[in-house]
Amino acid sequence: MLARIPSATLHGVDGRPVSVEVHVSAGLPGFTVVGLPDAAVRESRDRVRAALLSSRLSWPSRRVTVNLAPSGVRKTGAGLDLPIAIGLLVAAEALPSRCVEDVGFVGELGLDGSVRPVPGIASLVASIDARDIVVPVAASAEAALVAGERVRTASTVAEVVAALRGQGKWADTSGVVAGAPTANEPDLLEVRGQVVARRALEIAAAGGHHLLLVGAPGSGKTMLATRLPGILPDLDRDEALEVLRIHSAAGTSAGPGTFPSRPPFRAPHHGATEVAVVGGGTSWLRPGEISLAHAGVLFLDELGEFPATVLDSLRQPLEEQVIRVRRARGAIDFPARFLLVGAMNPCPCGEGGLPGACRCTEVMRRRYLRRLSAPLLDRFDLAITLGRPDVEDLLGGPPGDSSEVVARRVVQARAMARERGVRCNAELRFDAVDGPCTLSADGAALLERRLRSGSLSARGLHRVRRVAQTIADLDGDRGVDERHVAEALQLRSARTALVSEPGR
Amino acid sequence: MTTVSACNEDELYGAGLAALGASPGMLRKFLDGYGAREAWEAIARGRHRADPGRRWRTKAVPQLLDAVGESCAQAGVSVMILGQPGYPPALADDGQAPAVLFGLGEVATLEGKPRVAVVGTRSATPYGLGVATELGRDLTSSGVVVVSGGSLGIDAAAHGGALGVDGGTATVAVLGTALDAPASRSQSALRVALGQRGTVLSEIPPGAHSARWWFAVRNRVIAALAHVVVVVECHHGGGSLNTVSAALARGVTVTAVPGSIRSPASAGTNRLLVEGAAPVRDVDDVLTAVELPVVGHCDITPPRRPPARPRPPRPGATTRLGARASRVARALDQDPATLDVVVRRSGLGLGEVSLALEELSDAGLAVGERGWWSRPRS
Repeated sequence: MLARIPSATLHGVDGRPVSVEVHVSAGLPGFTVVGLPDAAVRESRDRVRAALLSSRLSWPSRRVTVNLAPSGVRKTGAGLDLPIAIGLLVAAEALPSRCVEDVGFVGELGLDGSVRPVPGIASLVASIDARDIVVPVAASAEAALVAGERVRTASTVAEVVAALRGQGKWADTSGVVAGAPTANEPDLLEVRGQVVARRALEIAAAGGHHLLLVGAPGSGKTMLATRLPGILPDLDRDEALEVLRIHSAAGTSAGPGTFPSRPPFRAPHHGATEVAVVGGGTSWLRPGEISLAHAGVLFLDELGEFPATVLDSLRQPLEEQVIRVRRARGAIDFPARFLLVGAMNPCPCGEGGLPGACRCTEVMRRRYLRRLSAPLLDRFDLAITLGRPDVEDLLGGPPGDSSEVVARRVVQARAMARERGVRCNAELRFDAVDGPCTLSADGAALLERRLRSGSLSARGLHRVRRVAQTIADLDGDRGVDERHVAEALQLRSARTALVSEPGR
Repeated sequence: MTTVSACNEDELYGAGLAALGASPGMLRKFLDGYGAREAWEAIARGRHRADPGRRWRTKAVPQLLDAVGESCAQAGVSVMILGQPGYPPALADDGQAPAVLFGLGEVATLEGKPRVAVVGTRSATPYGLGVATELGRDLTSSGVVVVSGGSLGIDAAAHGGALGVDGGTATVAVLGTALDAPASRSQSALRVALGQRGTVLSEIPPGAHSARWWFAVRNRVIAALAHVVVVVECHHGGGSLNTVSAALARGVTVTAVPGSIRSPASAGTNRLLVEGAAPVRDVDDVLTAVELPVVGHCDITPPRRPPARPRPPRPGATTRLGARASRVARALDQDPATLDVVVRRSGLGLGEVSLALEELSDAGLAVGERGWWSRPRS
């Protein structure tokens, strides 16, 4: 007797439909799984057997063959336990085949018969083509986000069988919980002074410009960076789904059933490997930190301490907003559209910013900066130097705007960018910068002077113009004038110090 | 200049003695009362008066002599032996003069001219680098020979300033490494220029490895060569203080460039000023100090200031600058400031301040370096 059960397996952050075919025939009792299973799938035999027996269901003492079709796709994870168990029952004629007609299953089995959640539920459910989909209770909310009313849930395999037979009820699908807005996001209100840095954060958020913070220890680089997600607009539905799928596949969901409404913030330590940052891995290809930061902020603290290979691997995703992971066992594109915030000390001793305060030799300083290739530094539209905050400001200077107020301005600026047909100004094409963005004559003259003096490159020109456009948008001005250009130039001034040869 | 392919026998043996790796004091003892060849052979036979324990006997082998001779020839290095013609008289009278000296470039330029050592830290601030460059340039155009250590930071800036003057006096670098030792990437251009248009000296034979202590030891050569030592920037306990004590031991005038009391790179120089070193504000101060020790045979031309650099006008003194720019310029009058501080001091918005800074830097009234803004030295 043959049974065919629809299910799915994870391929990167996407689901791939898998048809679980179970065949039970006369012969020596045995259990074979074919169709490129990985270790977790092969072990499912023992889990399924124990789960069925402890649920007082039958285990056929006959020859069982499980085929996972299409057989060319690698199957990973324990999510195929439940479909194998159900297929087995149908094939052994313990369950009538009409009960499982057009029903898909995803879930891992415990030895006691419980059904457990697996990573990537959202993607798996989305890829199963069936009328109803049975998922573990813990994953029901996440599944409901993509499949809505089609989701059926159960906490044990016995419950599943009872419900399929019509002798029991499916468990309640719990309601969808949206991530609480700005619940634990730190507020800009707590930052004293730092007028320029606050402004740079606002511009970065409004225009999607990558930001580099250079400053001595204690100047508040980390404090500022962690406040960037708080002024970014809420995720729209498409973004939220993407974020949900990525985090679900990586097993880093914010919590069961939380629909991500706020942009993620990822801050990998500088000891992170290239695979951890860009994605990959041996058993199955996992999304890396840059994909987990998709639609949010990737904060690299101590940028100069990251291995040069890791930093250079960021260049392509920064340009294309997607990371193509290529391995012998498969190739996967992970989405990676993130806002990069780098923070670093000006030199190894950290004091190098303030003239005369540094004790590093030129050689040490150069060795420190060598990790940062010019092409990577080029991708930072904004690069500012931070000084330690003024004592007066710390002890009760006037507080700046709160994150809420700034976020409102950011939303308005992004609306103006959308009129130009882009999500944010950082995505403006070169011809678009020249087209719909009007630049005043004195602004153009200032840029020309900087180009002629060699302090601005052709690539830098476009970046400055995009930032100037964002500044104009934030100020509510239609055209870009000299003031906006000057501010854009100032807000990337720390970059020149890092690129140009230090010393004379 | 003697090219060393034509290195005479004495010079070859002198180089060989230096290649034994003895300390400068020991090397002097080797040559004390011996000719170079005599000394070498006495050591090789274990009969040298200064080597009763025959410590150096095993090292004095013919292969060493061949190797050092070849290195000298390859690097085009000339060998000078104390007490022999060709050795710079400027150094010969010094009690700790190197017994054997290696040179690249025109060594005779040292003679008959006032010599000023411009020294300082390797991790210099833009201020120190600027001052050292100016001093190097102005001293050279006044006919003074600028002596320094050929190192990074202040040394490089002083040499660079001196080399920038067309037809000026040569500049002298006394290295703590062998003359053919590979220079770092940033240093190689300067090293080449020094070899072509200046003079490079070292007491370490070509092909030999340097050690850290050589850098301190060579400082005595800088002090001995100089009539006046100018310390531009120096950390507390920095290596330049070593040059200072060598200079003081020789009765050479020590001067120092004052710096901010908040700048660690000026801690050593400010300390020198407290202890009685003469302050140096510009080349005139140095020249005044030079005239005293070399009075009589000194041919300093009065400093020629480059006419191309008119003093920048004070902000507000001209009507050219707007109210906004002069307000921001006043905010720069204090110590160097980040953009943030300029915004706070001026009380203007970021856009206004940015625009003013662009205007000021176009007018040469503000300098931005590593994200810090300051007024240029006028």
